[in-house]
Amino acid sequence: MAVADFVKSARESFRVGWKIESNWTDPVLFATYQVIRPLASLLIVAFIVIIGASVGAASNPTFDYNQYLAWLIVGNAFYAFVLQIMLGMAILVHVDRTRYEVLKNIYISPGTLHPYVVGRGLVSVVNGTVSVILTLLFSVAIFNGLLHMNIPLNFLGVNLLMLIPAVILGVISLLAIGYMLCAVNIVSNRMEFILGDSVSGIFFLLGGVIFPIALLPSYIQSIANVLPITYLLNTVRESFGLLRGNYMSDLAYLALTTLVTLIIGIAVFRLAEQRAKKLGLFDRKSEY
Amino acid sequence: MLPKTTPREELLTNLRAAYARMWVRLKGSNREATGLVAEIGLPIFTIGAYVILYRAIGFPPTAGAAVIIGGAMIAFWTNVLWNMSSQWFWERESGNLEMYLVAPVSRMSILLGMAMGGGLNTGIRALGIVLLGIFVFQVPFQLNAPLLVVAMFALTLVALYAMGMLFASLFMLYGREAWNTASLLQEPVYFLSGAYFPGFFGPIVPFAIQAAGSLIPMTIGLDAIRRLAIGGGDITSVWLHIIALIACILILFPIARRALSYMESLGKKEGRLTLRWQ
Repeated sequence: MAVADFVKSARESFRVGWKIESNWTDPVLFATYQVIRPLASLLIVAFIVIIGASVGAASNPTFDYNQYLAWLIVGNAFYAFVLQIMLGMAILVHVDRTRYEVLKNIYISPGTLHPYVVGRGLVSVVNGTVSVILTLLFSVAIFNGLLHMNIPLNFLGVNLLMLIPAVILGVISLLAIGYMLCAVNIVSNRMEFILGDSVSGIFFLLGGVIFPIALLPSYIQSIANVLPITYLLNTVRESFGLLRGNYMSDLAYLALTTLVTLIIGIAVFRLAEQRAKKLGLFDRKSEY
Repeated sequence: MLPKTTPREELLTNLRAAYARMWVRLKGSNREATGLVAEIGLPIFTIGAYVILYRAIGFPPTAGAAVIIGGAMIAFWTNVLWNMSSQWFWERESGNLEMYLVAPVSRMSILLGMAMGGGLNTGIRALGIVLLGIFVFQVPFQLNAPLLVVAMFALTLVALYAMGMLFASLFMLYGREAWNTASLLQEPVYFLSGAYFPGFFGPIVPFAIQAAGSLIPMTIGLDAIRRLAIGGGDITSVWLHIIALIACILILFPIARRALSYMESLGKKEGRLTLRWQ
């Protein structure tokens, strides 16, 4: 019964969230907005690599730039999940507390705050999925179609049995991290605009999005090795045939790090909830 | 009937309004120390990713220095988008906009106050980002004309915030579009402005991208500051940038003023100035 109630509340929250995020414009413009940000981000790094190839800056002349670009495009495209979930969930508390002034109402309704956050997070997952698919398609259109670069990306050859479990686990871990961001924003009112971008920035640096984590200093690699995003991108690249690793081992690490992140996320959220109740933060407003 | 004020009194009232708006912004942004620390420390991660990428593909260390300057300028662009452009939207949502509209001051003085507060706040953070970036990544700078760098930086900020004032006017009647449009203008501008692209990429970046990027004052200012701070240039290497930035300011301020009047009168006609939760 409790599970059914949770699912029902999360579904309604998803419905509200989807309307808030999408019905301000028509679907084509909405999709355009969803793709431009990750695509621009991809173009920045892709141009750096293309320029690196053009000016011969690489110290290793045997470096395969096309293979690296394929690796980079897939990593960057799936990084859209990180961007969408982190940005969406980092701002959620601020918007509902300060702008719509409904956080207190949600909180005092019986058992709705947690499914509400989950439901709103799932909207970001849908947005992320749209971004990933469109970014991959546009990347091939730009680099192989317009620039004739012959990047080895074959979407028909993707192993979906490897891809789908990896994406599901990765998304759960990102939602758990988003949960923590909501918790931080419940007890703080100065970080809502920077938190999403900054946490995404941490994953951008440490998650192996644009370069292999082996290039990081060894003491930082150990941090990268406990992040679910690292294993999410490894497993995704393996399912695209762009990384020769041990898929099952990466998937197991992804499952383990997801579980740990989930436990920490729920614990942090409950702590923040208790503190907010104690200090009366659920209806705090801040404008400056 | 209100007594007629002299131009001097009017100017003083407007300056007081600008100061008051600036003070609120400064106080609001800096009273929680964790926010300040986070705003300086966290952008280093994204900057670091690009510095490492440059090292990985064998670019010289000056490329890393260029990225750090770009990262600091991005802080200003973000501030212009979220704390200038979208600000009337926020103010309308919180009920402040109607108070500004009935106050006996120019709307431009409120925008000026926001710009000064935002510029100072972000200046502190940008300086922190540059110093932390230099410390962490040990990148080389070649600074022969520090005063010129400061002047270029100030000129860039004025042009950038003038653009912010224009956007603020245009965003005035937006509902959720404001949020999405501000978000949309982040990464594409990072790409077009060359925030993560050092100047020596110039000949390789397609002309259309360079031309589109040149319409953004940040692109011009960023290139000039890089020439001075990394390339060791002097006034002869940036005089065209100075002219371009002055032109931006002279064009953007009057347009912002006109746009503000137009959007205000449109908002009154359509009854949208007090509309919330669109």
